[in-house]
Amino acid sequence: MSRVRGISELAGPVLLLALVALAGSVASRSVALEFRSALVSATIVIALYVFVGNSGVVSFGHVSFVAVGAFAAGLVSVPEALKLSVSPELYPFIARAEVGNAASLAIAAAVGGVYAFLVGVPLMRLSGLAAGIATFAVLEITHNVLRNWPRIGPGAKTLSLVPETSGFLQVTIGAVAVAVIAFAYQRSRPGRLLRAAREDPAAAQGSGVNIHRQRLVAFTLSGALAGFGGGLLVHLLGSITTEQVYLDLTFITLAMLIIGGVSSLWGAVVGALLVSGLNSFLAEAEKGIGGLDLPTGARLVTLGTLMAAVLLFRPGGIVSRAQAPRVSPALARRLASLRPFARERAS
Amino acid sequence: MSERAAPLLEVAGLEVRYGRVAAVRDLSFAVGRGEAVALVGPNGAGKSTTLHAVMGLVRPARGDVRLGGRSIAGLAPEAVARSGIALVPEGRHVFPHFTVEENLRLGLVARRAHDGVADDLRRVYRLFPAVEEFRGRPAGLLSGGQQQQLAIARGLLAAPDVLLLDEPSLGLAPTVVDAVFETLAEVRAGGVTVVLVEQRAQLAAAFADRTHVLANGELRLTLGPGDAEDTDLLTQAYFGS
Amino acid sequence: MNALQTVVDAVALGSLFALVAMGIALIFGVMRLVNFAHGELLTAGAYALFLTTELPLAVSIAVLFATVIAFALATEVAVRPLRAASPAAMLVTTFALSFLLQSVFLLVWGSQGDNAGILPELNRAADVGGLRIRWVTVASIGVGALLLVGTALLLNRTTIGLEMRAAAHDFRTARLLGVRTNRVIRFAFLLAGVLAAAATLMLVVQRPLVTPVYGFQLVIPALVGVVVGGLDRLTSATLGGFAVGFGTSVLGDVLPSDGRVFLPSVVFALVIVVLLARPSGLFTRARTVVERV
Repeated sequence: MSRVRGISELAGPVLLLALVALAGSVASRSVALEFRSALVSATIVIALYVFVGNSGVVSFGHVSFVAVGAFAAGLVSVPEALKLSVSPELYPFIARAEVGNAASLAIAAAVGGVYAFLVGVPLMRLSGLAAGIATFAVLEITHNVLRNWPRIGPGAKTLSLVPETSGFLQVTIGAVAVAVIAFAYQRSRPGRLLRAAREDPAAAQGSGVNIHRQRLVAFTLSGALAGFGGGLLVHLLGSITTEQVYLDLTFITLAMLIIGGVSSLWGAVVGALLVSGLNSFLAEAEKGIGGLDLPTGARLVTLGTLMAAVLLFRPGGIVSRAQAPRVSPALARRLASLRPFARERAS
Repeated sequence: MSERAAPLLEVAGLEVRYGRVAAVRDLSFAVGRGEAVALVGPNGAGKSTTLHAVMGLVRPARGDVRLGGRSIAGLAPEAVARSGIALVPEGRHVFPHFTVEENLRLGLVARRAHDGVADDLRRVYRLFPAVEEFRGRPAGLLSGGQQQQLAIARGLLAAPDVLLLDEPSLGLAPTVVDAVFETLAEVRAGGVTVVLVEQRAQLAAAFADRTHVLANGELRLTLGPGDAEDTDLLTQAYFGS
Repeated sequence: MNALQTVVDAVALGSLFALVAMGIALIFGVMRLVNFAHGELLTAGAYALFLTTELPLAVSIAVLFATVIAFALATEVAVRPLRAASPAAMLVTTFALSFLLQSVFLLVWGSQGDNAGILPELNRAADVGGLRIRWVTVASIGVGALLLVGTALLLNRTTIGLEMRAAAHDFRTARLLGVRTNRVIRFAFLLAGVLAAAATLMLVVQRPLVTPVYGFQLVIPALVGVVVGGLDRLTSATLGGFAVGFGTSVLGDVLPSDGRVFLPSVVFALVIVVLLARPSGLFTRARTVVERV
């Protein structure tokens, strides 16, 4: 079982987030936006980590929760007349809703959490490949529905004029809060039970752990946090479209988590900030600033290569110490014999 | 038997580790052409591990495995198979969805001699009538004993220099085991060099020219066919310090 | 009449999806790799066709096959470190590779899309007993059937086919029997490349606009179909691919026009249902053990 190394596991990432916030707040306007964006990314990646890191199950669908959170927060922050002019067919309860900043974030988290719960009830029985495909299906369905159902949102059009309330204070507090919640969860009994189940599912089940339930808890929490991240996102950008919360974001957040290291909070934060930094730098370079002039698309190529390279050669991520999971040989053999697809291929 | 002729298969100072545990420690033995050598011992003695090391399924930490004087340690299993060693694995591992004939055809993959296939096939059918009878049917329909026969037949069709057998009696009824060993005797009489890992020490000792007793990864004792009845000796070797 | 037309069109699309699915399943069989980036084979092929539009047909087709096969063999090299990884890790890594390749295509050709129109004559329809069937539909079914049968024959009647099936069933024992698994894996990729190239040709005839996401959009349903059909066995996986293609086509015709935009949702919802009901796949006979805790 992974050892959770005490409060330093939380203090480190939080300090890093605070430092980044501090550095960004004194930077120029456009750069400050990049910093805030990095902090919002960190929030989303931490949310993803809460589920993927603790359960060991890959989810391609988490951006669905970011999406519903973003749209929910956005829709309730915009005056009715404006909403109806963009989407005349909106359901009245959505059209009429107009709340303040904090409430919109709370709604975003709630919507994300509820959606994750509903999705999780059936899906948490799956793992491995089936879970990957099923969560990808959720992403596709969410995108498809959001884009084509004019009664719940702007559909293919942009939802704009959302108040840009995600200043440094908001995103930093948001990121730190999410980190604290993630840490509290992984130290809690449900979190530890889930991690035990990740290491050795059969043994955990044998000890009475209801894996389905524990995964559902993590998934729901993760969905709520992702929804919250979506809320932060929409208030950062001032607008949102379905394409902004679809495949690109899925890829980027997965990349961040994987490059940083799937199994720890540190990894999630480091990965998010590092890749955000790289992303921003490369985006600037594409525009020909900073002495480098890269062609458009080089940014994605670079990130893709980096992600692929990490996955192929250092699957534990940058933060991990070892390249292989830290399991003793005897335990490894026992795990191998328990798992149906015993990996005998490695020669 | 063939002390002066160079050994066909030689294991020298073999050490195999799983993590920090040494499953086989400083093991040395040799098998001459046409000989039958058995490895016996309690569970966990390292018998199967030795065969795995010979076949390249696991890399030795120390020591060497030599075939015809040439080192084969560290070769991939398919390369070892193609060098002329065939393993009849523990648990048979026939392909149940393939027909018996297809299973036999797989045995031909590692074969180096491209001629004589028809003759070898005839010989194998004569040795194992059940295999011939069921040749068009899925191998999964065969009984345990018949599958064992199929696995041995498959090994023989590779025309190997050395035939390794890992626990051929496992899971088989006593009468079936007797039949298998009778056939093995015929196989050996046909000139095939055999290395046998067996739980049934007495059976193995009676069959082989030399029986090496392993315990805790080390070679404890070497027996001749006459020692098969000596249970005291065996017990000492298995459980003594 | 209309129903028959729907069925014929669906069989055609199903055949093409089956070709792609079979390629995915072949690779999965021999190395347990689920390749999210399989679609990029099709995109590469489509761009190859775009680049050779001015050249004679035979040359164009030759370049298509050469390009796709080269890409396939390159993929084999690229994924070698993944041989011992878990299926989820493979999924994520190949997802990254897919994205990487899409970005490269975007970099080189931009997102506008290029017209790789080939054999436009095939898009003409023939009147067959009241049905208007396009030649390309007939060609798709024909090519699909030919290649599927051909591959089946290859697998069942040849030694390399036997070796592939053995490696897919029991990799370790296959090695012990002397099967050169590296060669077998390479051959599987080669075969998958051939199938993908043929599918690309038929697809480009019908959808000549090539974008960086051309193959990705098509392969996701195919991949899903493979998993849904039953990843473990070649026939079930191919049937799964066929079913998704068939189903998508039928649903596209059958759904009311305002419901048609939700076609992806319907398909994916069905996928989830199948995964929950039969995690080992729709068309598998045996109860294969799947990661289900």
